[in-house]
Amino acid sequence: MEIKDYNQLSSLELDTLREIGSIGTGNAATALSSLIGEAVRIQLPEVRIMGYNEAIDWIGGPEEITAGVLVGMSGQINGIMLSVQQLDFVNLVLGNMMGTSIQDYMELGEIERSALVEVGNIMISTFISALSGLAGIQISLTVPAFTVDMQGAIMTVPMAAYGGQSDYIMTIGGNFVCQGKEVPCRLLLSPDIRSLNVLLRKLGVSGQ
Amino acid sequence: METKITIGIADMKMAKDNGVLITYALGSCIGICLHDPKIRLGAMVHIMLPLNMEEGRKNTMKYADTGIRETLRQMEAKGASRARITAKIAGGAKMFEMGGGTLGNIGQRNIESVHMHLKREGIRLLKEDVGGSVARTLLFDVASGTGCVRSYGRPELII
Repeated sequence: MEIKDYNQLSSLELDTLREIGSIGTGNAATALSSLIGEAVRIQLPEVRIMGYNEAIDWIGGPEEITAGVLVGMSGQINGIMLSVQQLDFVNLVLGNMMGTSIQDYMELGEIERSALVEVGNIMISTFISALSGLAGIQISLTVPAFTVDMQGAIMTVPMAAYGGQSDYIMTIGGNFVCQGKEVPCRLLLSPDIRSLNVLLRKLGVSGQ
Repeated sequence: METKITIGIADMKMAKDNGVLITYALGSCIGICLHDPKIRLGAMVHIMLPLNMEEGRKNTMKYADTGIRETLRQMEAKGASRARITAKIAGGAKMFEMGGGTLGNIGQRNIESVHMHLKREGIRLLKEDVGGSVARTLLFDVASGTGCVRSYGRPELII
């Protein structure tokens, strides 16, 4: 049976998605670890199905400024993947890669910005490549786009993209732990509903 | 301290005589302030998409067309007159500059739809701050009919 909205997912299907989140985030953490030269562990990834306003509260309020890297997916799976880079994460990357840190996103120069885009892009690509290998599907990725702005507005990008299909947004992802500190790296995979059905069918759990 | 009334995504609220209506972090979404100065009734809608094509057309406030229409209906039920109602809008940005445009430009489509439906309903658009690539927080003072737009890295703008 095909689902028509994110809130119709069964517990088996949610478990499967959590597993994808685990493998994807694990791979992304390995990629990050080799980029920054530090051990990176992951926390148990979560699958969340949230109403719009609930999602904004979950990410930490609408007006907080954050950096976002966005990659579009197409092919057998359509969707968006976002890396929401809050200040702790930004400083972890900049500190280890370039020996700098920032207090405010205004201080980001051209090189810092491009480092963040690249780190986001590599983590997202690693995640998606794990997903595509696991499910045996072809996924093409767009070049990454980058912005620094209110995180509420960044979160509404996947919402608006699928807003005609659903009142919910589904996100899969988890936090990193590095140098004994929890780093809120929010890697968010948001497939559209048709693609979610394709994915669940390919993984053999649809409708069971 | 005036009462602040927060409007979420796909949401609408009204206030009469005084109070500040506020909606946070408009990206491609648009905040529409509708105001009848004579009876000092103000409404703010936070729409996300241009056209309601859902079955049953529930969720009126998620879309520009049904959101504007339904808000006007509720304002008129409270004694507002369409001839006096004016509008101020903000939002419709493009948060990410994407090559190829897989996402399309939802912000631009929202702006066009809001313009069209305000015109169709006979509502005068007084001021706007739309487009570009910045997120906006929109405040609207019901007593004076003044709007204020807050953005990151840009001075506050009175509309």
